[in-house]
Amino acid sequence: MSFFAFIGTLEIGLVYGLVALGVYLTFRVLDFPDLTVDGSFPMGAAVAATAIVAGINPWFATLLAIFAGGACGLVTGFLAIRCNILHLLASILTMIAAFSINIRIMGRPNLALLGEETILTPFENFAMDYGLDSNLIRLLVVALLVVFSAWFIIRLLASDFGLGLRATGVNSRMVNAQGGNTALYTYLGLALSNGFVGFSGALFAQTNSFADVTSGVGTIVVGLAAVILGQTLIPGRKIWVAVVAVIVGSVLYRLAVAFALSSGMFGLKASDLNLITAVLVAVALIAPRMKNSFNRKKKRVTATKKLA
Amino acid sequence: MIELNDIRVTFNEGTILENQALRGINLVVPEKQFVTVIGSNGAGKSTLLGAVSGETPMSDGQVLIDNIDVTEKSVHQRAQYAARVFQDPLAGTCASLTIEENMALAYKRGSQRSWKMALSSNRRKLFQERISILGLGLEDRLGDSIGLLSGGQRQAVSLVMATLADSKLLLLDEHTAALDPRMAAFVLALTTKVVKEFDLTVMMVTHSMKDALAHGDRTVMLHQGEIVLDVKGQERESMDVKQLLEMFSKVRGEELADDSLLLG
Repeated sequence: MSFFAFIGTLEIGLVYGLVALGVYLTFRVLDFPDLTVDGSFPMGAAVAATAIVAGINPWFATLLAIFAGGACGLVTGFLAIRCNILHLLASILTMIAAFSINIRIMGRPNLALLGEETILTPFENFAMDYGLDSNLIRLLVVALLVVFSAWFIIRLLASDFGLGLRATGVNSRMVNAQGGNTALYTYLGLALSNGFVGFSGALFAQTNSFADVTSGVGTIVVGLAAVILGQTLIPGRKIWVAVVAVIVGSVLYRLAVAFALSSGMFGLKASDLNLITAVLVAVALIAPRMKNSFNRKKKRVTATKKLA
Repeated sequence: MIELNDIRVTFNEGTILENQALRGINLVVPEKQFVTVIGSNGAGKSTLLGAVSGETPMSDGQVLIDNIDVTEKSVHQRAQYAARVFQDPLAGTCASLTIEENMALAYKRGSQRSWKMALSSNRRKLFQERISILGLGLEDRLGDSIGLLSGGQRQAVSLVMATLADSKLLLLDEHTAALDPRMAAFVLALTTKVVKEFDLTVMMVTHSMKDALAHGDRTVMLHQGEIVLDVKGQERESMDVKQLLEMFSKVRGEELADDSLLLG
């Protein structure tokens, strides 16, 4: 893998790290299996791209994308809580509805951002002026945005509000008895999660200079892969450990995929991406259990040896 | 003061399984009174507590707490008035959170939960102080996950949690029923101590007539969704389980056929 490709892989890993944060919030913290992300990711991209092309400040465009993502989360929340639709199904409904809405937003299925001013443009110009590697500077900016997002989530989950959010996913009856409105927590948790995913979509559009309505397909699997991979490799009950783990998981996932595809030694093609993802997630899910049963067997063997 | 006016709860209304769990309960609990509620299985004890806390929807009636009508309020809105300890130790605490995080949740019962850090050093100090009265050594284990504690320990912590925020009423729903006898006695003694220390108004549901008479200052007996006995003051002081049972058969003209009430 070339250095250039390596930097690019880190960048995309970090961008999807924001998706991993969102998926962590719903799947792990709220215990709400939420597939909305397949819709809110391209919506973030579509909103940011459309706004930028319309001449809106790219930072403000990114903010709009975050709100658009959050709105997707609220719709899922409304369907699940107010209309009592099965969580998974509610999020699927939002997801497919978002596909049509995204095309409406852009007016077409995809939109190029080439030559437009993005949030990265000033930093790229800065790098150019001082003769620095603009790819490295871009990576740094993306990394800073991800670190800030991670800090925000860690701090939020340590607050009184965050504690209510975490408890809602574990024991909602208890939260109610302690005066917490679990419906409100679920709404806000979903909005927050999809807001981060929308942010990720906006960053994706700006780093890759396009928004495409089909770019959302499989976002949930990538996010889950990052969460599962990260938490398997870096286990720990502490919130900050988990948050760091899912972002590291996202980067490692991208590196593993890039390595598998670029090395050519397994004869893999780009179209094998989904298969590789599925295998990676399956291995990450099976590995901890395999380790446990292996350890238990070892113990039993040593115990029998001692007896003999 | 807690005022229950003609509370009726019917499950599966209009179906063949219709069950009138509460048939017009009227009860006034003055401030700082400790009422114990007894009754056999299906008498409506837990339903009554559920109606007060808002968990069980009522078909008719009115619940007033300090002259505020809370009948239309939801569970989490009523939580600012009423603290609760559940029968199931797993229900009242959040297993995957630490002891101090559980306490922080309870500390904010009935008030806004904001961006403020849930665990400040001031709060930690308060939690340590409050939990030390248990004498279980938990003050040094605040960072442990509460799931590591035994059922009895969790109920004891739940009791402490119930006193962290002000309340007009403490609801105890057979909170010792799932514990072994030694731990049940410990939690009951702790209950009396805590209630005295914080001058609480209490409704305690129990399955044991002995416990019901030995604790608190008024005993209400439910039978088939109605209040059949209500004893307090001197009459109650000198009463034992046998007399209570005699009184029951005099009022109802029938024997109580539930051994667990007598043996408990």
